Amino acid sequence: MAAQKMHFLVIDDSKLNCFIAEKVIRNNNDSHVVQVFMEATEALESIKTKPDVTETSRSIIFLDIQMPVMNGFEFVEKFEKLPETIRTQYNIFMISSSVNENDHNRIRNYPSVMELLIKPLTKEMLNYVIDFKKN
Amino acid sequence: MENSEKIKVLYIDDEMNNLVSFKASFRLKYNIFIANNTIEALDHLNNNPDIRVVVCDQRMPGKTGVEFFEEIRATFPKPIRILLTGFTDSEDIIDAINLGSVFRYLRKPWADADVFSAINEGNKVYIMNSLIEVKNAELQKAYDELDKFAYSVTHDMRGPLVTILGAVEIADDMSDMNELKQMLKMMKESVHGLNNYIQNIHDYYNVNRGQLQISEINFDDIVNEQLETFKLTAKVNNIRFVTQISQNEPFRGDAMSMKIILNNLLSNAFKYQKKAGQDKMVELQIKIETGVATITVKDNGIGIAGNHIGDIFNMFFRATSEDVGAGFGLYNVKDALLKLNGDINVESIVNEGTTFKVILRNK
Repeated sequence: MAAQKMHFLVIDDSKLNCFIAEKVIRNNNDSHVVQVFMEATEALESIKTKPDVTETSRSIIFLDIQMPVMNGFEFVEKFEKLPETIRTQYNIFMISSSVNENDHNRIRNYPSVMELLIKPLTKEMLNYVIDFKKN
Repeated sequence: MENSEKIKVLYIDDEMNNLVSFKASFRLKYNIFIANNTIEALDHLNNNPDIRVVVCDQRMPGKTGVEFFEEIRATFPKPIRILLTGFTDSEDIIDAINLGSVFRYLRKPWADADVFSAINEGNKVYIMNSLIEVKNAELQKAYDELDKFAYSVTHDMRGPLVTILGAVEIADDMSDMNELKQMLKMMKESVHGLNNYIQNIHDYYNVNRGQLQISEINFDDIVNEQLETFKLTAKVNNIRFVTQISQNEPFRGDAMSMKIILNNLLSNAFKYQKKAGQDKMVELQIKIETGVATITVKDNGIGIAGNHIGDIFNMFFRATSEDVGAGFGLYNVKDALLKLNGDINVESIVNEGTTFKVILRNK
């Protein structure tokens, strides 16, 4: 499948997780743009200051839940307060190492979060995310 | 002063004579509050939340004793309720039990011995209920901790495992040897993180469930053991490790807790160093003087931001994503100190370093 060029943001405090995510994404299509952040605060800054781009599809954010300093949910809280012109450029997928009923219920409160995925990120999962249409 | 130690008893009756004679009969033994009506009675209850026994007349104008008890069951559930009545109406008795949930039913005119016995028995129930309340609060705390614990265990233990699994899966599509080696190194770090986490759980169990074993502590021995552990870390990361011990008197304490405290403080001091720091240093100072051991662990590392200082001793709190940590270490330190009745304080300046000072008393 010839996937079109897309933009990804990976937010995870584990170096290895970031490495894996970047690999999986690049293996899918080497021309994808991948930005890696080990701290959510830095990702938020980058999103805020990024100039408007005219990309055909939305950028995808892979967001870890449990992180120090700013965790995934704190990130989403702040993200949802950003102007709509910024928010609509991104689809957030939260990722966690375990299925937690509370987390599952909690993400329903955030329209910008598409789904909760379970680690590790695999190529099948990536294909699913690329083809994802929120109904 | 003497009054404050006596059991506080509230007596409500619309007949002044009864109030006066009740107080006269029992004031030596108890701290008696009297009320002519239920409004006054509520004032007393509001002002004296430690009233343990409420004795109330049944037949009063406006509100019966049972009605009053039914009302305060919700608002003041703790005091033990005793109903006093001159009439033996079986309807009243049934209501007293079912609606007022009274502890004793006494007949008027009362016999002093019956009142003494009812109040004393009531007080016993009051104390028992209070104890149960304390135990329930402890149990609730334990449950809450267990919830947090279960969440963290699934996350922090599965975390490194699924990450390693992910790495193994992408290894299939990798052929660059250098890249593979780089990944193996990261996998190793994940394994170390997991191992460290399990060690922390072990410490947590030892501090929380284990009994303290008080013995004579030779700080030289304990520090030598830590030196062994950190010697390599210090060398590899080019960190100067300075220790200074002055112990001229015997000191008794729990060796296991002592090791947990030292190990966690030192491992943090080594871990949270500035990456490109010059003259990196960790200093351990132990001084035993007149039955007090002062342990100081000082580093010139990354420091802790002021808004995080208050949280660092909380379970699973992590102030930084620098290096791997489980958010467990300082919690265990604080827990151990709580058991040993010790103190800890921390001073830190971002980018200049952190100093932890632990105070322990001879057991």
